Amino acid sequence: MTTSERPDTAAALRDAIVSADPRLSKFSPLRRILVHDDFNTGTHGWTELIGNYNGVGDLSTVDDHMRDFRPPQLSNCTFFDTGTHGAMSGSYALKLATRPYTGHTATAIRRLTMSGRGLLQIEAYLTFKSEATLGGEGQDQFGDVTWDGNLHPSEAQFGCFTVATDLCGDGGLRYHTVARYLNTTLDNNLARQWVYPTVPEPTPREHLEGKIKLAYAADFTAPNPEDWKPFGEPQELCYNEVPTKVNWHYLRWVIDTSARRNVELQFNDRIYDMSALPVPPYEERYDSLENLLNFYFSVRTHSGVRNFLFLDSVLISTEW
Amino acid sequence: MRQALTAVLERDTTFTGDFATEPYEAAWAGEARWFVNALGVSSGAVVRMVTQISPDGLTWCDLDGAEHEIAGPGLVAWPVSHFGQWLRMRGTVTGDDPSATLRIYLTAKS
Repeated sequence: MTTSERPDTAAALRDAIVSADPRLSKFSPLRRILVHDDFNTGTHGWTELIGNYNGVGDLSTVDDHMRDFRPPQLSNCTFFDTGTHGAMSGSYALKLATRPYTGHTATAIRRLTMSGRGLLQIEAYLTFKSEATLGGEGQDQFGDVTWDGNLHPSEAQFGCFTVATDLCGDGGLRYHTVARYLNTTLDNNLARQWVYPTVPEPTPREHLEGKIKLAYAADFTAPNPEDWKPFGEPQELCYNEVPTKVNWHYLRWVIDTSARRNVELQFNDRIYDMSALPVPPYEERYDSLENLLNFYFSVRTHSGVRNFLFLDSVLISTEW
Repeated sequence: MRQALTAVLERDTTFTGDFATEPYEAAWAGEARWFVNALGVSSGAVVRMVTQISPDGLTWCDLDGAEHEIAGPGLVAWPVSHFGQWLRMRGTVTGDDPSATLRIYLTAKS
């Protein structure tokens, strides 16, 4: 064996090991696996996001739109009609659940720091559902969906889910990369479109400086609907008709922290080139966030029906 | 090592009448405990709270007959066991000018 052959041999050996391990073979990790979260053994650091509060712990100083993102739950995906689904891997998934309040968002955030720069990838198996509705009266319809034995009004009651980062480094330069699946428009019609924001996320400091004040249930990632733009063609997912059937979807999203850019998003059998999408940083520099590496998932209801995002497992890997 | 988890189900929320916390799944847990931190209670007001359980997160019944009372600031707690898939708390605030600001923790342990 020559020296020049070693990398290929190492890569082949690594691929063989990954593909032979049922915990990892459903992922396509980059060189270093930073995080592998299987929610059969706890929440693995995925926790509720909250806005900042003052130096005496007064939670009334938390911004209204960032004070109620709800604690993630360990769920075995149990439903009223068939009982326990279980997760894709084992019994438990991490569940994000909104309140039954139009515009309400639930989040789970994972807080890390960067020990290098380069390609960064998050993969997940996830599914999304609206809460089942029982005992309703009147028309069996919601948004632009009328029950026809196949398409179910519940699908129009699901707003959107988002995967995003909060990154900072290189002297306090802070930015977010964001991908959102907009299942429905704000008036509850099916959109099934991937979107991204063209503005940075409003921060508590901007509120403190009097620049912005958002109401409870405002869209914290980018509050103005006009600031969300589509990328790629609409993509129909497998909601599977009713709110009580769970089918797991594959997500793989790559960003480049050297270039501070998106790279690509894969969702099931579609791959979206995101490299040309703008990633606007904050104009001001931030203290206390050097090498910040946060990922979050969120789910937002547009209907006033509880919306759920279930994560079976998550893997974060890097090239650094 | 046992698994343990704390969820803050209400964060300094002011209630003025009947209320129920959001459903929370705890099927994995063998035991749980409510902690209710009363940050402010209006004069003469009383908060009464009862643990509720559910098989599906949609329909609820009381776990037991135990009613837990708060009539002023401070922390109260009570244990919960032999529950099913979901837990929540229902409560009511009564009095001439009923108002109570509560921080409600659910702690669960495998």
